[in-house]
Amino acid sequence: MKVDRENLHSKIEEMKKGGYDYLVKITAVDYVKSVQLIYILRNTSASKDEVLEVDLDPSDLYVHTIMNYYKAADWYERELAEMFGVEIKGRKAKRLILAKWDGRGYPLRKNFAWNEPYEKRE
Amino acid sequence: MTGMVDIYTIMQNGLNSGNILVSLVFLVIYVIFVLVIMSVFAYLFGWIERKLIAKAHYRHGPTYLGKFGILQNLADLIKLIAKEKVAPKTAYPVLFSLAPQLLVALTVFLVLLLPYSPSLQAANIGPGLLVVFVLLGFTPIILFIAAFASGNKYADISAQRSVLLLLSYEIPMMLVIASTVLITNSYNIQALISMQERGWLLFLMPVGFVIFFIALLAELERPPFDLNEADSELIAGWLTDISAPYYALYLFLDYSKVFLGGLLLSMLFLGGWLGPSFLPPIAWLIGKAFIVALAVIMVRITMFRMRIDRILRFGWIWLIPLSLINLVITYILFV
Amino acid sequence: MALTRINIGPVHPSTHGVLRLVVDLDGDTVVDVDTRIGFLHRGVEKLVENRKYMQCPPYMEKLDYAAPLSVDELFVATVEKALGIEVKERAQYIRVVLLELQRIASHLLWLGTTCNDLGQLTTGFMWAFMDRDLVLRLLEEATGSRMFYVNMRLGGLVRDLPAGFEEHANELLDYLEKRLPRYERFIEKNPVFIERMRGVGILSKEDALDLGVTGQILRASGVDYDVRKDNPYYVYNKLHFSSKHAVSGDNFARYKVRMLEIGESIRLVREALRTMPEGDALGMPVKLVMPNAKNRIAIVSREAPRGEELMYLVADPQSAYRLSIRAPTFINLAALRHIARGCRIADLFAITSTLDFIMADVDR
Repeated sequence: MKVDRENLHSKIEEMKKGGYDYLVKITAVDYVKSVQLIYILRNTSASKDEVLEVDLDPSDLYVHTIMNYYKAADWYERELAEMFGVEIKGRKAKRLILAKWDGRGYPLRKNFAWNEPYEKRE
Repeated sequence: MTGMVDIYTIMQNGLNSGNILVSLVFLVIYVIFVLVIMSVFAYLFGWIERKLIAKAHYRHGPTYLGKFGILQNLADLIKLIAKEKVAPKTAYPVLFSLAPQLLVALTVFLVLLLPYSPSLQAANIGPGLLVVFVLLGFTPIILFIAAFASGNKYADISAQRSVLLLLSYEIPMMLVIASTVLITNSYNIQALISMQERGWLLFLMPVGFVIFFIALLAELERPPFDLNEADSELIAGWLTDISAPYYALYLFLDYSKVFLGGLLLSMLFLGGWLGPSFLPPIAWLIGKAFIVALAVIMVRITMFRMRIDRILRFGWIWLIPLSLINLVITYILFV
Repeated sequence: MALTRINIGPVHPSTHGVLRLVVDLDGDTVVDVDTRIGFLHRGVEKLVENRKYMQCPPYMEKLDYAAPLSVDELFVATVEKALGIEVKERAQYIRVVLLELQRIASHLLWLGTTCNDLGQLTTGFMWAFMDRDLVLRLLEEATGSRMFYVNMRLGGLVRDLPAGFEEHANELLDYLEKRLPRYERFIEKNPVFIERMRGVGILSKEDALDLGVTGQILRASGVDYDVRKDNPYYVYNKLHFSSKHAVSGDNFARYKVRMLEIGESIRLVREALRTMPEGDALGMPVKLVMPNAKNRIAIVSREAPRGEELMYLVADPQSAYRLSIRAPTFINLAALRHIARGCRIADLFAITSTLDFIMADVDR
């Protein structure tokens, strides 16, 4: 289900009221033209999953945190910020969790220079 | 056997002779004799512990060096002693290196204070029992100093734990000793053991025996009370920053403390050196101590480590009331 | 009162790998735990983007090295879904057998390390490892390898079960069924174990859902969600088993759920072996040129031994455009801070051991 960035919060709130009590995963895919954020929510009592897709412009990458709805979002959002450079607004803890990248870009973006020899990057 | 007895009488006569010089020479011989017994016991205990634990784990344990790997601990000892001594920057160097040695010295001193047969002892101290247990109570305090001297945070926590541990087991232990004193009317170890000729204290107060055994495990810092070196959270507690030679010392201390504990338990409850006369008294005493040591290993194999608050609660809710009841019942029955 | 801040790890006896915890202590009580991960981050998700599909399973297996088959199978299943490949029926049964055996092995490993973390001088550890080794031996018989199997191919398996596997498996299961009560006698009858597990590290149902924990931890908190039951795959809906759950949400519940699951897995393997149809179970050869992807996006989730593992695959014809792995241990470990607050330092490791994380899986 495609959702706008602006409507994300209202949509999640509505879904949470509708029984979607469990956040499975937040992830993203870099389609070069856009970066798509993916929120997988679950209704545990009905065993039903719902995928929310939020398309973002790579030049304007930010989204508001959903930690006020699901605490589980904490580490996923941090991972997102670290791996895709998506700025998560409205949250306190911003420390990187998986690795320390020294400003060399965001590893899971398609423009990340992963194959270059190390000296070149210095 | 008669030869042994002769050595005893010679030793005793020598120790108690009026001449200071002769006494001193015999004292040195006696000290060497006891230390050799203690070291051999500690060594064998270390080996048997490894073997028994391996057996429980379906492993083989040490096998390469010597018959059944009996030389393995010696090899380990040599390896540990040959290593470098390092003290961390944050440590107080003097206390840090002195504390393990102090602990060993204390244990050795206690082992020397104890009598080994009616005639074989360094000095017949009147309130011997009291002296021994008061000195034993110093161990956690030295441990505390050692832990703080190492300047390590894990060691700090371990130090706090050893003091809390002291609070929970020392009182019931002393209460049990008080009830043995009620029966014997004396703090003297000799008197205590000769009184047990009528019947071991184990049968006179079984509850006291159990309490004493539990408190002894805590005193020896053996599982399930090995909280101050709990490897799963504190790495090694007060031993975290210790270097290899001191660690060797610590291992020796650990094993010789079991010897001391076994001696104390067998003297207090298992009739000390009393036994049929086909073996010399000292053999009975050490044999009983060895059985106690085996029990200590068995507990180590099966028990999970207790939590410090739980030990405190256990000590104050169960051990102290039980030992008080034990005291009262002993008073009613025997006095 | 001044707090003591201690640093635990990344190298520490009971962090099961390279986990760093910065713990604020008030005496012996944990005030706050800061979980630092990432010491084993290898960028598997990026690696996969630059490999052909069937070059990836060996990488996947190194994620959860205590239960490699489950991740291997999950990846292959995800690719199968993306490429629209049906799994042969016999292969489905064999996959269930292997997965459940893997679950038993993984839970036994967990049991051993938990005994170790509770300070039990590795007796329970050695016992559980001995039994786990027998399971591994059986898996070796079926797959040819003890640790990293790489036994899945698109549409089936590398090889069918060897002759005599069923007898050997049944022998082992009989043995394990005899061993389980022994563990229970040895562990659950121990008052110290009960004291350290019961009522410690409680996670309520609401918090469990909110924190997004999965697997046994979620089920121990009273949410009966098991992918095998609620979203069945392969032949799980034809087999008879129950998903185990508890309500108290403490360490003991997590322990109990896992122990009961071993029993269920034994039953499942038995039944799957009994009802297994004859036929072909071999999958496609590795070097086969793939058809174009039928579904651009494939989402597959599986009940791995450590919880629900999910893969989100954006498929290209020959390789993954993007593979996102939802590691169960990652989100379970994220809940540590919440659970451990206010516990004793000694319980901190009882809790981490019942969370049962594998750092390679957490960091990816």
